[in-house]
Amino acid sequence: MEKNRKKPQASDLLAAFIASDGRMSILVVLLGLLCGTLIVLAVGRNPGNMFAALLQAMTGWDATRGVWNIRYVGEWLAVSTPLVLCGLSMAFAARAGLFNIGAEGQYIIGLTIAQFAALYLPKVPGLHAFLAIVLAGLGAAAWGGLVGWLKARWNASEVVATIMLNYVAYYLSRWATMQIPGANTYKTPSLPQSAQLDLPFLKDLTNGSTLNAGFFIAIASVLAFWWIMEKTRLGFALRATGFNRDAALASGIRANRSAVTSMAIAGAFAGLAGAVVALGSFGYGRVLGGFDNYGFNGIAVALVGNSTGLGVGLSGLLFGLLTGAQPLMQSRGIPKEITLIISGLVVVFVSLRAGLRMVLAWKRPLPATAGADGATAVADTGSEAPDA
Amino acid sequence: MKRTLAILLAALAVISLASCGAKTAEVAETAPADITVRLLTDATGVDDKSFNAAGWRGILAYYGDTWENQAKKGVNYNYVTAATQDMYIPNLKQAADEKYDLIIVTGFTWADALGEVAPLYPEQKFLIVDVDWLSAPNVMQATFSEHEGSYLVGVAAALKAKADGIQKPKFGFIGGVPGPVITKFEMGWVQGILSVIPDAQIVDYYANDWGKPDLAKAQAKNWFDSGVYAIFSAAGGTGNGTIAQAKEYRLAGKNVWAVGVDSDQFADGIYADGQSAVLTSMIKRVESSTEYALRAVKSATWKGEVVVFDTAHDGVGFSDTNPSLGADITAAVNAVRADIIAGKILVIPTYAEALAAGVVPAKLQASDK
Repeated sequence: MEKNRKKPQASDLLAAFIASDGRMSILVVLLGLLCGTLIVLAVGRNPGNMFAALLQAMTGWDATRGVWNIRYVGEWLAVSTPLVLCGLSMAFAARAGLFNIGAEGQYIIGLTIAQFAALYLPKVPGLHAFLAIVLAGLGAAAWGGLVGWLKARWNASEVVATIMLNYVAYYLSRWATMQIPGANTYKTPSLPQSAQLDLPFLKDLTNGSTLNAGFFIAIASVLAFWWIMEKTRLGFALRATGFNRDAALASGIRANRSAVTSMAIAGAFAGLAGAVVALGSFGYGRVLGGFDNYGFNGIAVALVGNSTGLGVGLSGLLFGLLTGAQPLMQSRGIPKEITLIISGLVVVFVSLRAGLRMVLAWKRPLPATAGADGATAVADTGSEAPDA
Repeated sequence: MKRTLAILLAALAVISLASCGAKTAEVAETAPADITVRLLTDATGVDDKSFNAAGWRGILAYYGDTWENQAKKGVNYNYVTAATQDMYIPNLKQAADEKYDLIIVTGFTWADALGEVAPLYPEQKFLIVDVDWLSAPNVMQATFSEHEGSYLVGVAAALKAKADGIQKPKFGFIGGVPGPVITKFEMGWVQGILSVIPDAQIVDYYANDWGKPDLAKAQAKNWFDSGVYAIFSAAGGTGNGTIAQAKEYRLAGKNVWAVGVDSDQFADGIYADGQSAVLTSMIKRVESSTEYALRAVKSATWKGEVVVFDTAHDGVGFSDTNPSLGADITAAVNAVRADIIAGKILVIPTYAEALAAGVVPAKLQASDK
């Protein structure tokens, strides 16, 4: 009996991780960091440097040189912003049972529209930037909604459609932007100040980082995501469709309309990301020379964030941290690929989560402990991921 | 939720502890005796076999290292890549924070970011390659006289056509995206050819893309079929299509040539043992500029000025790797090279001026804007 009591404790800890999506995400992140550490050791570098870079990106404290500069925190939050927004895009569609590989294209549409709006709308301070962002969101919503409509009308695969539309968006953006008078093959004339998102107080606060109003857009989007999903009938209909399309149909939910709405809202999030990058990070419009990859990275962000609003926010910050730490690692002799490997591993571990759960459920002894643990597990799931 | 938070905080604590370990490890590193430099690149890094690689080679050369043995990397010099363009400014600021003696960026895509960051760090020295329009006094700007190097390969190709006894030879130029820089290549090439064969026919084509070798290959096939003898491509990756087509035709026994650009592309054109379809290459030595700037920093002669790397500064040249070029032609081109350095030959870089001087034909697709 004594023996039997000891054993479940270890598995209880694991079970605690398995039971909650939030904790599971933290576990896989730690696993990813652990593997990253081992790889750094294996290639003969000092893993302490890797953690020093992560610490500097997170707090601004440079342990190597002993200086503190809060600008790095600002850069971390700034680079997280489009990741969070693109993660929300992927997550929103995923909750409605759709796989939105098109966040990159929707991001590009948003970016392009924002640039045009910045160059051609009247230069009214405040209103100009606001309108540019709204238009970018609407345009990208239409771009995303188009796929939803194709899906609803002809049952076209949203995966194939969104992948192809990424390229359409890219070349369309290049062509359209090059038509702007004064544009060359690389950039347009400067964007007016009234369209730009930088806020003096944020710049002062973060010692001149690129952090801008886009950060607040990301926070508002996380809240909007949560509110739509959890508190509205629309969100309920979308989730129901995502869980079981036939059951949703049978209970009177119009699943076709759900496809269009969810893809449109997903597109809007990605479009906002494009607008934030265009108006927040550049003083000129860009003729894109390749994908920025925020949209594609959003897939991983949503996966790790478990497709919930708060989860995506946190996982966007994590991926932003890895991105922001990349040059700091390189500076300390850690190959830049390490951050990519860590984020890759995190995604792999998250994908393994379901499998891990099954193994654990199968391995766990049914009698005695099942009652109590099962209850806490249910309670945990309830409190951690009320929206799962 | 509380448990989740607790775990999160524990993780943070572990990371902080681990980085404190890093501090003690770093102190052991001795202060570098020589000057230090940071190269910032775009997403490709220094393995792009082109611009970044050339800038990196110059740095290696300055410190007496080689590509295979980068012994002083991490001590005196290192590089950082920018995953996306919005990382340009943060990466520049980070490098300035870390107080290198010189920060190098290559390519005009960096111009806006550097123009914004340089005034914020007036004590920091910067070098930017291929840009000459920034005004910050702490930025050295290096440009190249691509038209002079292109003139040399034009002369080489025309002399080779003459030596082969080609009747009414035609010459082609394939550009990437039209613009003032590529125009310098085309103007030099055309003037070089016409200086040897005044009635040679010139054809030109712009792929409007730097990465579409299939377009260049199709165009090269067309031209070679219609009697074009040599094609010079200044089109980035697109130009590889020209070399591929020339290889195919030379293998089939046709006497046609491709002319390489930026670095010696002899190896890319090899189609049989020791035989390459790349007759010669216009060489742009980006490494000259990075090495020059480092020497200037070291000797305290560094100034925030525009430095033009022309033939005299060994910034541009031509390659004589291909044995088919022959000693006679190499010697003749070297004589032309000496004349350019001496100022006896003046190569015109813009289409408008070259047209006005009557040294290039009308109706070329080159653009000065």
